[in-house]
Amino acid sequence: MLVWAVHGAGLSVGELVAGRDGARELLSGFLSPDLSGEFLATIGGAIVQTTQISLAGLLLAAIVGMPFAVLLARNVEAPAPVRGAVRLSAAFLRGVPDLLWALLFVAMIGPGPAAGALAVALHGAGMLAKLGAEQLEAVKPGPIEALRLVGANRTSVALLGVVPEARANLASLLLYQWECNVRTSTVLGFVGAGGIGQELAVSLTLFRYDELSTLVLAVLALILAVDLLSRLIRRRLGAVA
Amino acid sequence: MRDLTVEFADRGLLALDGVDLEVDAGERVALLGPSGAGKSTLLRALLGAVPAVGTVRVGGRDPYGRSTREIRRNAGFLRQGDDLILGVSGRLNALMGTVAGWRLRDWCKVLSGRAPSGYADRFAELAARHGVVDCLSARASQLSGGQRQRVALIRALLPAPGLLLADEPTTGLDPVTSAEAVRALHEADATVIAATHDLTVAATFPRVVALREGRVVHDGPPIDETISAKIYQQEKV
Repeated sequence: MLVWAVHGAGLSVGELVAGRDGARELLSGFLSPDLSGEFLATIGGAIVQTTQISLAGLLLAAIVGMPFAVLLARNVEAPAPVRGAVRLSAAFLRGVPDLLWALLFVAMIGPGPAAGALAVALHGAGMLAKLGAEQLEAVKPGPIEALRLVGANRTSVALLGVVPEARANLASLLLYQWECNVRTSTVLGFVGAGGIGQELAVSLTLFRYDELSTLVLAVLALILAVDLLSRLIRRRLGAVA
Repeated sequence: MRDLTVEFADRGLLALDGVDLEVDAGERVALLGPSGAGKSTLLRALLGAVPAVGTVRVGGRDPYGRSTREIRRNAGFLRQGDDLILGVSGRLNALMGTVAGWRLRDWCKVLSGRAPSGYADRFAELAARHGVVDCLSARASQLSGGQRQRVALIRALLPAPGLLLADEPTTGLDPVTSAEAVRALHEADATVIAATHDLTVAATFPRVVALREGRVVHDGPPIDETISAKIYQQEKV
């Protein structure tokens, strides 16, 4: 089966050997990154736009995904038809890959960061719904039962009990989703959805490997910075997740 | 309740086995028994919270019928202090029992840390009586065990319930807080049923119902040491 898979994927040593000239060219470009002021300014703008796409996407994803998470959580006991409808919607949102969402939005509203933000928002909403529901279900059952036993309705149980109990972990989940959004936003530009990905696509198409090198370094720096910031905030929140 | 049986089929556990029990309005009853005797299950059956076979009536209403929420809203439920919502303030925890409905005004008040209309005076009085005025603003996670139990007590008493159920209300408490919790149960203007495995707590109640393996083995005045020893000794065998 492994041989079948390797053969089907077209993996062969010959292919790698044949591509050695391209690899050499790529590597030499990477060793001399373009650090001109003009290009760095372009990258700065693209990084800012990527961050904006990821944050706008996170905001929209939270607005849709968090209520979905509450309705999905078993301990909230939402009516079965509502829960079923939400589960289907959330599965659809996260089932469609973000790249496909981006292609659809580029086709609908044209290329640009808005398409990227909407793409990460919809996919993110589906993810937040599922992962958020898991965080909500993991809260200690005792306090929730105590609320329910004094006649609290579902809304009271959800808003006063389940959500506050899971608050730190939900915040941590949002930060994690932001990290994912940043990573995704760097790629979505390849299909015209704005951000640094668009610059990557242009440099790659024009074989400007020196620019590509600078862009890759910038992407790495952005992801590491977001990762670090997110970890710091999570530590401050004292979240488990 | 008449011939009440509660079986948790998934765990193969018969928690209550044909229990007959009648409690008058305003009466104070201690449910005594070792762990697993069925005390907590009996309290939950009164609120329609466990699958039961038999007859249960609370003030003439059926907690397993359409009156579940109504009965629960007229009930205070006190567990060990660890049942607070730790992520919010003690004040919000104490006020939670007052927003069972949909009144937006009440919601806004409670979320901003104020008692809804009709509860403000009683809330202030209970907070002062139980000595938690100064610590109500702190998160529940920052409160001590005794402070949490006092907040839980205020939450149970604030809506002035007609029925007050307490499930092991003194477990894990220091003697002073424990005595305070018991005194609050006796002072409550309600029918009080308190589940406990503590003989000294049970002895403060005029009527003690002892359970063992889901059956009532004693119903009457506080039991003497011979009978109680028998109950607990049998458990060990």
